[in-house]
Amino acid sequence: MKKYILPFLTTLLLLILVISCNDYPIDEDGLLITERAECYVSNFNLLGSDFQTVRTAAPEIDTVAQTIKIEVFFGTDLKNLYPQFSLVTDAKLDPKIVGKEDFSDLENPKQWTVISGNRKVRKTYTVYVSVQQLTQN
Amino acid sequence: MKSITINIPKLILTALIFISCSENEFSIPELSSGLKNDCINHSIAPNVVGQYIEFAYAMALKPEEGRLLNANVVASIPGDEGTYLNNKSYYTNGSGVNVGVEVGESSVTSGNKTTVTFKTDTCAATLRYYYKIPNAARGKEVSFTFSASASNGETVYYEMGPYKVREMDLVLDLVATNNTDCYISIADMAVYDAIEAAANPDKIDLIYLHRAIPGISFNHSLVSPSSDSQFKPDFVLAPVINNKSKLIKAWNIQDQQLARLQYGVFVDDLDLRNINFAGAPDYAINMRAESGLWLETEDGMYKAYIFINKVDNSNGKITLSIKRLKVK
Repeated sequence: MKKYILPFLTTLLLLILVISCNDYPIDEDGLLITERAECYVSNFNLLGSDFQTVRTAAPEIDTVAQTIKIEVFFGTDLKNLYPQFSLVTDAKLDPKIVGKEDFSDLENPKQWTVISGNRKVRKTYTVYVSVQQLTQN
Repeated sequence: MKSITINIPKLILTALIFISCSENEFSIPELSSGLKNDCINHSIAPNVVGQYIEFAYAMALKPEEGRLLNANVVASIPGDEGTYLNNKSYYTNGSGVNVGVEVGESSVTSGNKTTVTFKTDTCAATLRYYYKIPNAARGKEVSFTFSASASNGETVYYEMGPYKVREMDLVLDLVATNNTDCYISIADMAVYDAIEAAANPDKIDLIYLHRAIPGISFNHSLVSPSSDSQFKPDFVLAPVINNKSKLIKAWNIQDQQLARLQYGVFVDDLDLRNINFAGAPDYAINMRAESGLWLETEDGMYKAYIFINKVDNSNGKITLSIKRLKVK
């Protein structure tokens, strides 16, 4: 019985070593690079300084034209908005969102690039913001 | 060796049974003689001028040793009018309600000392002390010496503090009315009408407007006098009133001292001092009940947090409570 224990333990140890040495690729952000090639935005929101949504309705996301159109409430402070993207599984965004963004230059809409899970597909989305208008009687 | 190995677990098991069967008889701890006291601070909020710091002061001695004669509190800075030591001792009934039993005369405050003289023959009581923070304590530290005397000649003392009093001011339940009393001054912590506002144009930091505009969520809005005319629809403003306040909308900051609701949230001096208004707008549209607004006055003299206690859609009114810090 004793003579089987040592080979068994050795085999087990080797197996653990083999598994632990399996090389899972990690990108520069420490995120797992997967096999997924899907690359799109599934939802988008804009939050005000009070972290409440400022959009008047669900955004129009065109995954072919790679555009996002969103209308915000009258009186929204466009200089201080937090964009909130929902992406397909394993995808990431470039540049990263680290705080408030200034959307006040409506002529030059802001852009973000979605990068697929396998890091091989990149799609740049343009965010068009419009403001609900005050119509005087 | 084998027999020892087998016997050791048996021995441990036997010992465990023996220990677990050992009976420790409970006895009520013997109370040491003499007058004893203890104190806790009930307040968790920042200490703001005009607000209370609350304490519960307990004192007791053995019944056979005598009875309580008086309880005293000496504050390092005399409390404002309204400072008192409650003459009731409380217990909690079966429904969880605190019931007060009067055990002493009404408290007497003289200078910085507040006293309750016991009128019932009692050997134990817990009295509540309410210290109303005076303006003299602003920015300073205040401490308290609690004491109790008993008929056996003993007197005990208990030191509490020091407690830092904040620099900020606080005002509750200002009511602004659409188109009439709609001018808000942070400098004065007050609401003015058009005539008063025109007389103090430099002090007007906000205008309250209530508009029901189809297709737009304007509703109850607080705007700086300088804001674009689109944010002051159908409102005529005297040109001399033109301050540009910086405003940041807030949500989920139901400061307990302002809201008096169940939330354990407090805006403190540090919050007001540290908030950065760079790039902040001069208007806040569609303010809702329980929302808030950070504000910096044009001259940079004051920073404030304004909490919306209530909005009245039918009468075009808003109820505000404000914490304000002078930063210059």
